[in-house]
Amino acid sequence: MPCKHYKDTLIEAAASGVEPEGELRAHLEACDSCRAGFAEEQNLFASIDAGLHATVNAKVPVSLLPRVRARLDEAGAPRNSWVTNRLVLASAAVVVVVFFAARAVQHTNVRHQPVEMAGKTYVPSLAPPLQNQNTIVGPRVERNSNSPRPFTSAENSPSVGAPARKNTEPEVLVPRDQEVLLAAYAEQWNLHKRAPLIAQDSNATILAQLRIAPIQIDELGVKLLAEEK
Amino acid sequence: MQELVLIQPGGMARGEPLREAVEADGRREFEERLAECGPLAYRVARGVLRNSADAEDVAQEALLSAYRHFDRLRDRNRFRAWLVRISFRLALDRLRSRKRREVRDTLWSQPGNVPPPATAEDLAASNEFQTHLDRALEELPEKLRLVLLLAAMEGHTIEEIAGMVGIPTGTVKSRIFYARKQLAEKLRCHANTIKTR
Repeated sequence: MPCKHYKDTLIEAAASGVEPEGELRAHLEACDSCRAGFAEEQNLFASIDAGLHATVNAKVPVSLLPRVRARLDEAGAPRNSWVTNRLVLASAAVVVVVFFAARAVQHTNVRHQPVEMAGKTYVPSLAPPLQNQNTIVGPRVERNSNSPRPFTSAENSPSVGAPARKNTEPEVLVPRDQEVLLAAYAEQWNLHKRAPLIAQDSNATILAQLRIAPIQIDELGVKLLAEEK
Repeated sequence: MQELVLIQPGGMARGEPLREAVEADGRREFEERLAECGPLAYRVARGVLRNSADAEDVAQEALLSAYRHFDRLRDRNRFRAWLVRISFRLALDRLRSRKRREVRDTLWSQPGNVPPPATAEDLAASNEFQTHLDRALEELPEKLRLVLLLAAMEGHTIEEIAGMVGIPTGTVKSRIFYARKQLAEKLRCHANTIKTR
């Protein structure tokens, strides 16, 4: 058995395949057991090399190349990746162009719609929630044939059955007690196209509903802490 | 005087012969390399799989794959290195699938299908050290294994291996050293050589 001190050095010398030099060589000459251990180690590496050599340098079967050639004939010509790549790139470019074109068209439509509506003096429709959203009867107006035509949100908006995207007019939820007033406001807006006229033509009693009552604060009673006790 | 020929790449009538000529050139160029590098693909696969039939299958697959993608290889001088990598990868894949299959077969095998135990003569006849070497080789890291197999092949210098694997010669040397050392550590108990006192 080799000396423990030289064990690793012996193994590395055998693994590298280089003849030992210097101190190790001198020790091997003096120590029989280390010399025997080194020889065994060299035999181990020689066995490994022989096994590897036998594994990888096995005789190549004669059938290998004919079979490969036959399969190459079946496979046909190699794929022209240059052409393939160009087709893929062209397809990708078309997809990207179509995508951005669709986006551009969509944006253009969104921009043009408000402008067109402004040109038509767009008036927002006012509709109570969950009720007859198409017809809002104005103030002091009875539903009869002689009365002025009631304001209808349908005048400026598509019919109920139309697709939702065509109904571009915003709808406003209003308190029920202000429904009549705001309907009148909208009607005035529709007729005169000027907001200040509403105040002149509207009934003062209706406008009074918009006034906010002053805050009522009771007089504060101040008591000392001692009195409280 | 040099003759000039008008070629319309988009035209079918004139484009077809040109394409066929390019394909024929590619095939001829590949065939020239096939005779030289076919055995290399086989040996790499054989070193990983240690089975002639599997190695031949893998070598065929590797060569076919190389042929299919031959036009992607811009530097044709790198063909050997490229083929070695393809073969090594395919062989590793085959080895993994073989192991999975063996495990599955072991799990599902019936007691009646188990082969009879080997006789003492069979065991003595089998190369026990080679079996242990194969197992130890399988456990080596891939990068060490490839370099060691290439180094064990006849006619491969350190510089050639470095060129094939794409690493410096110093790295090739150190990988060979560590690979052999790891193999020795695993096989030492079987060889029963060094015992410290």
